[in-house]
Formats: sequence, structure tokens, C-alpha cells
Amino acid sequence: MNTCNDCKFYLPVDVFKGICKLSKNDILPEDNFCEKAERIAKCKFCSKYTAEKEFLGKCMSTTLAYPDMIAAKCADFEWISLN
Amino acid sequence: MSKAGQSTDDFMECQNEAINYYGNKPGDKVEDREKKQQPTQRAGKARDLYFSAKSSTSMEFPYWYTRCWDELDGEIPIIRRAESLKAGFEHLTPVIYPGELLAMGKASYLRSSYPMPWLSEAFFMASEDKLYKEALESGKLTADTFTTVGKGGGNVTKSVGKVISIAGKFGLRVEEMPVMLEVAKRWKNRSVDDVGHKYEQMVPGYKEKEAIMRSVICMFDSGYTLPQGREVVNYYYPLQYGIDGIIRMCEEGIAEVAGYPEMDRLYFYKGVVTMLQGVKSWILNYAEEARFLASLEKEEKQKAEYTEMAERLEHISANPPRDFHDALQMLWIFHVAVLNEDAISGLSPGRVGQVLYPFWKRDVDRGLIDRAKTIELLECMRIKFTEIDCFASMGVVGGVLSGNTFNNLCVGGLNKDGTSAANELEMLILETGISCETPQPTLSVLYDEKAPEEFLLKGIECTKAGAGYPAWVNNQVAMEFILNNYGHEGMMMEEARAWAIGGCLESSPGSWMPLNLDGMIHWIPGGSAPATSVGVHFISLPKILETVIFDGVDMRTGERIFPSHGYKLETYEEVWQGFRDYFSRAVHVLALTNNVQHDAWRKISPSLVNSMLKPDCLEKGRDLGQMGARYNTTFNIESCGNTTLVNSLASLKKNIYDEKNYSLEAYRKAILDNFGYHTAQETGSYSLVDQKPAEHFSEYRKIHRQSLDAPKFGNDDPYVDAIFKEWEDWFCEMAHNYRSLYDQPMYACQISVSTHGPMGAVTLATPDGRLSGTTFSDGSVSAYPGTDKHGPYALFSSATCWNHSQSQNSQLNMKIHPSVVRGREGSRKFLELIRAYMRKGGFHVQFNIVDSRMLKQAQADPDKFRSLLVRVAGFTQYWVELGKQIQDEVIARTEYEEL
Repeated sequence: MNTCNDCKFYLPVDVFKGICKLSKNDILPEDNFCEKAERIAKCKFCSKYTAEKEFLGKCMSTTLAYPDMIAAKCADFEWISLN
Repeated sequence: MSKAGQSTDDFMECQNEAINYYGNKPGDKVEDREKKQQPTQRAGKARDLYFSAKSSTSMEFPYWYTRCWDELDGEIPIIRRAESLKAGFEHLTPVIYPGELLAMGKASYLRSSYPMPWLSEAFFMASEDKLYKEALESGKLTADTFTTVGKGGGNVTKSVGKVISIAGKFGLRVEEMPVMLEVAKRWKNRSVDDVGHKYEQMVPGYKEKEAIMRSVICMFDSGYTLPQGREVVNYYYPLQYGIDGIIRMCEEGIAEVAGYPEMDRLYFYKGVVTMLQGVKSWILNYAEEARFLASLEKEEKQKAEYTEMAERLEHISANPPRDFHDALQMLWIFHVAVLNEDAISGLSPGRVGQVLYPFWKRDVDRGLIDRAKTIELLECMRIKFTEIDCFASMGVVGGVLSGNTFNNLCVGGLNKDGTSAANELEMLILETGISCETPQPTLSVLYDEKAPEEFLLKGIECTKAGAGYPAWVNNQVAMEFILNNYGHEGMMMEEARAWAIGGCLESSPGSWMPLNLDGMIHWIPGGSAPATSVGVHFISLPKILETVIFDGVDMRTGERIFPSHGYKLETYEEVWQGFRDYFSRAVHVLALTNNVQHDAWRKISPSLVNSMLKPDCLEKGRDLGQMGARYNTTFNIESCGNTTLVNSLASLKKNIYDEKNYSLEAYRKAILDNFGYHTAQETGSYSLVDQKPAEHFSEYRKIHRQSLDAPKFGNDDPYVDAIFKEWEDWFCEMAHNYRSLYDQPMYACQISVSTHGPMGAVTLATPDGRLSGTTFSDGSVSAYPGTDKHGPYALFSSATCWNHSQSQNSQLNMKIHPSVVRGREGSRKFLELIRAYMRKGGFHVQFNIVDSRMLKQAQADPDKFRSLLVRVAGFTQYWVELGKQIQDEVIARTEYEEL
């Protein structure tokens, strides 16, 4: 289940809370996706990311990476298939 | 007269009770401050959002920095550094908050910061980690364990749910914790801290340095902890040439030097170009986000503001600013860009009102901006500066900085031609300091007799508002210091006028830069030196005296710190000589080890952003670490607990050597037994006001009383003032005997910031009657709380018994009851008070205009006082974000009820 923390409309205020860019409501990163939510590019949604242990993995099998890093500005990012 | 502690007679009447000798007795009614204004609606909302936000840290920048660094193994160091900074900048996720007129911040939270493991990685490791244990053993982290961090406000003091608390202040999402530890471990033996540590051990006497750190005689290593800051930024180059213009300058430099001797210039220019490409991407990513938000926005005004923000950012990602708003945005971007290259405190924007005046005046003349719009923008600037956090260890961020980042904005002073520099924009800066009370940027008035009365009274109005700023700083005294200190590097009177405060109170040299707007030259001031306080940070003077009394041993831990001094201490002169011997030993080894650490910094982690901004790095093709700046005599030696030391020396002199009331042995016993009182750690209170006697306190009643009654600094008493002057004259002179990394003489710096709390916590009772673990005197020429009993003018006479221009600064903190300065008559009286101090040669004075009872209420019920600001020592901070040690000390300060 995706949470607001994974949404491109999530604006983090601090590590505890944020604001929805669409509704402008206060939300929590742990809140579930609403019907308007869209995933933001993160390593865990990238085909080049391999999970190794909790919260750690590899990028392109070689480089340290972590699943929750936003990768919107990463030149190598490639969406995984959602199936 | 002051509403200080009780007299001796009062004391004698309550011999069998605990003494409330120091501090204040609350009266009946709590009085609020006189001046109350509200910010604009926009700034008010932004400040409310700030109040709701917690200090948050993230791994985005350090991850990309480290990843790039590892990929470039073998590259020229400064190029490797530039590429890593570029990678960090261009991968930062942009965040823009509703209503913002100025975009961008350190990272992707409102109060953002991030670890910089390339500087130091051990302090944020788990306490059971080997790295952490090694740091503890070497004395690097001892101060952390005696520091209290504020429990309220934006501090994340404990781990909750999916958030981990680091250093008692910063929150990190649990999903980023493993990568933080993994990245940190990759810097082991490669960070500035580790490399510097490897080589500092080669300094003769290094083991003594470790013992000094463990005893907290010295607060922290400055060479890598906060390697930049306590300086004034120079915004001239981006304002004049724009980013693309600077890139062109560097490309010309590259063409000029490639293949010729002094090839380091080539790498510097190339590094600046690379770094600027990262900064450009960072700005353009924000522009893209602003356009994205505009596309989502339904409300027309907000949509237009997002669009305008995007357009502005796109423009200044390449070009010089077109107007005041552009210029302010650009100033902010480069301020943050510097903060993102190192752990930095005290990066001062300097004389912003004079730097931006040409842009603002042109807009006013063209009818493009009015007073209301200016106020709104300046308030937004205040909020942005307040959002700045610095990720550092608990000892540094709590024990030294109290969570503050010391972005000091100066107003007043003189122009290049010697006329008053105060202007209308600075009046509005003071105005917004009243309407939008925030800790940052703190304000300082560079007081000069040439300043218009209207300007000074606006400063008074702002000080009366009670946020603790502006501080009042003597322009002429500072210029004298600047001329003396930098004269051998070519500093002349005209350029001395460009000085400003860097950090909380560090006098920093400046330069006049020719800003060309529409063919007209405006000489604008800006910083012209690297960090003006890297060096020996901070030396606990009372703790040194304690080791003299106990022949080199820290009696709290039983560890020998210094070899036996060999004196029998049969005369006062031997005590004084013993003090000078130990102080000199400490400074000697700390200056050398700091030089090693800072050398590691300049080699591994050279400054690129700040170097690019500072004249004459671009002209010389050298970074700050290679003396690219115009002025480089910038290392200092910092003291803490001046007045506690001097009062203690006076007590020893009087009670042991002059009047022979007690033997030294009797004092040793009383000190070890804390004059028969429980310690501050036991009572949980760090000021003398609330200390509790133990069962046997009557055994020490007489010696304690006579220690308390010994002459105290701050009363125009020649007995103790002569000791103060002797200390100052010696300290300011001896500091020049030590050489910086840049082979320049060092100088004295006398500010306590927050160190008087944790340093007091590890110091036994002192001969002046202060009890074990309680805070020292604050500042450097402040009286110990409650001991200045003859009014402010007597305090001023004591404080100016020596020449302040010998030192980088002096610091005087005063607390005045709001009723004393009420109304216009009160303002006049207040200005006359400040003027009197300046005319006597005082360098600095700052005020808390507050009723102490309100502070007591705030301590008891912090949630009701979220926005309450107080002045500590060179900075303003939210009350709820101060540690208890400092809260207790501020409450206890003498409160003047008459001037």
C-alpha cells in the first residue's frame, strides 16, 4: 500500500507531517494514497534498484542506494513495471 | 539601582537558611513588553508554519555527495569536491511552501539540515558504535554529555514512531537511518575529522590536548567542526555579474593559466565552474517546481505568484538581478549555497540594507515598489533566515549554539567616504525586526556618533520590542581593532569602514565593491576574509584556575590534566603566574592541533561557494584555504567565564593573601565540598538562585559568605577591576604569540555564546562563592548575575577598565525591566544609556527587556510561550529551544529597575 510519502503531491514540512499540494490539507506521510495520488520517482520504484536488506539496496547492482530516496532528478531513473 | 540579590545584612539575618544571594526576587505583577506589532498576513502564516515545524534532516545531499566522491577516486581534490557539491545541489528535491515570496532552502524540509560526514561522522553514530566510542575516548564528545538541549519548540528531543532523534535536536525518518550509518562509515579514516586526528597526534603534547578536551577546559575542536562561519558573506559577484558572468570570468581564467606555473589556479577556476553548474541546476529545479505548483493552483493570485517565482528563478539562474526582489532572492540563494558546502554557524549577511539599497532605491524611484511591499519582502526574508538549521553534535549545537545559527545583519556604520551609512531601507529592516520577531537574522546597530538621531531611536524602538536585537556595537572601537589586526595586510582606514559583525559578535573585515547599476557606481560593503574565528574554542577560565588550585588535576574526574606547576601558591602572584602558565600550555597545544585539523579541511574539503564570493579569490584563482581572500589574519582564541575567573581571583587575593582570613587549604576543602551545598546536577537548577544546602552547610557558612562578599566585578571597584584589566591586557597581548595555519598572529575573542552553561556544569565551586555545576558569568564583561549592585553606570566603568579595541570583541549583556524604558521619555533615556557606554569605549551591549517573572512562567509552562524570544549572549533564541542551563542563567541575571 502506497502512502502519501510516496506521492508527487506530498510537500514535506518536517519528518512528521506535510501538506497536500492538491488539497492544501495537512497530511501525514503515513496516510494512505487517495484517488488523486500519483507516485513520485523513488529508488524503490526504479527498475535499476535492487533491495538487499531493510531500507538498503543497490543501484545498478553496484552502488549503495536506499528505497525511499526521491529520484526525480536522477538521470538513470526508470519506472518499474507496476504489474 | 539594581534589583540584585540580597545585601550582606540580609544574608546575616537568614544564616540558618539557604542563601538566595544571587538573582532576583520576583515581585507581584508580571509586566509585558511595551511594543507589540504584528507581521503582515503572509509572514504571519509563514511564521505559524515555522512554529509547527520540527528540525528535520535528510540524506539526499550527503548521499549524492558521497556517491560522486567515491566515483571520482584519484581526481584532483578540489575538482572532486566541486563535482560532489554539484551532485548534491542538482539532486536536492525542491520544496516551496504556500505564500512564499523567496524560494529555496538548505534541503527538502522547512527547517532542513543534513549530516556532512566528509567533515565528521562519529558524533551521530549510535552510542554503542565503535566510531562513537573512539570519539568519546579522545575527548571530542565530552561536552556533549554535559549539555542540555531545549525540550520544546522545534527540537526533536526523542525518537517517536518512524522518526529517530539525533543529537537531541534533529529528526530523521527511520527509512533513512540505515543509509546514514552506511554513508557515515564510508567516511571513516577519510573525513576531515579523522584525517586531522591522525596528524594532530603528531603535535608534541597531544595527550595533554585529549585530557584538556575530556575535562572540558576546551569546548570543541574548531578546525573541522564548524570550519566556516563567524564571517560576513560578500554577495557582490552574483549581484554584479550573475552566475553566467562568473562562469565566463572563470573560463577566461582557465584559458589564461592552463599549462602555466601555479596550476592550482586552473583547478580552482574549473572547480568554481563545476560547482556553479550544480547551483544553476538547483535553482532551475526550483523554477520547475514553481511552474508545477502554478499548474495545480486554482487561486489566481497564488498561481501568478508561482509563475512569477519561476520566471524570477529562471532569470537569476543565469543573469544579474533586475530589481530589488531579484536581488534579495539571489542574496538568499547564495547565502544558502554557502551553508550547504560546510557545517557553518555564524554566516552573517552583513550590511544587507546597504548592499541592496541601490536596487531598492531604483525601484522606489521608478515606482516599482512601495513601503508595504518592502516590509512584506523583508519579513519573508526574516522567516527564511529563521528556517536555517545547522546539523552538528549536541555539544556544538546545544552547548555552544543553543540551536542558533547567528546570521547577523548589521545596520548603520559609515560609508566609504566616512559619512553615515544608515539609510531608509535599514529603517525598514529595523521596522520588520519589530513587526516580525524571529531569531534570524539577528540585528546589530553599528553605533557611530555620525548616525542620525532618528535612526538611533528606531534602533531603540526595536530593542524595546524585546526580541533581544539589535545589539549595539561601537563602530569606532571595531574599526580600530580592524586596522590594528589587518594593517600589515594592507588594511587602510577607508576599507576598515566596510567591516561588519560575523556570527554573533566577531568583528570581521570587509571591502567596498563597485556595484555598477545603469552606469552609476555604488560602493557596497561585503565580507573580505574567511572565517574570523577558527582557532582555540572556547577556554574555560574558571576551570583553568581550578587546576591551578589543585596543581594540575581535574578534581571532578581525578584525571591529571597538566603537569605540576611547581608553585606553593604562597602569594597571589604565584596563583596568577600558575594561571598564566596553564592557560598558555592549553592555548599552545590547542592552537597547533587546530592548525592541523584546519589544514586537513582545506585539503580535503576546500571551500568553493564561499571562496567564489570573497574578494579576491576569483582574481587570484585561489580558494579561501589558499589565502585567496584579501585578509587572512583570522584565527582567534576564545575565552569563557571571564568574570567568574576575575571574581575568583579577587576572592583568593582578598581572603587568603591580603586579609589572611583563610588558608588555601581551607579553600580547597570548601571547593571540594561545594561550600556545603548540593550540586547543580543534584538540584537540576544551574543558577545560584535555587541551590540547596546539604546538612553540613553551616560548616562552610562563613567562608562562603566571605567569598560572596569579596569584591565583585561590575561595581566600579578598583580592587577587582585592576585584576580584570591585568587579565585583559595580558590575554590580548599573549594571543598574538600564537600563529595560525596561515602564519598570521592570532587574537583574543571574548564571547561566551552558550558555553558558560556546559562549562559551568563540569566546574567545581569557585572561590567567588559560585557553586559547583552552576553556570559561569555570561558574555565577557557582564557582571555575574546579581552582583552588580551600583547601577548600570558603575557596571560600564568596570567593563571599560581596559581598551576593548585590543580584542576582536567584548560582550555585555543586560536585563532591563520593561517599565524602565516605557514611552518616548524612556526611549531617550535608554539611548543616553547606550551612548554613555559607547563613549566610554565599550564595544558591545545588548539587552533583554523582559520581566524575569515572565521567564519563570515560561519555564514552567513552555507551551504557552512558544513565540517568546530572549537574548542570550550574542544571539536571540526562542525560550523553549534553550537548554535549562541557559534558561536558569538568563532568569538569574540582574534586572535593572532604574537607569
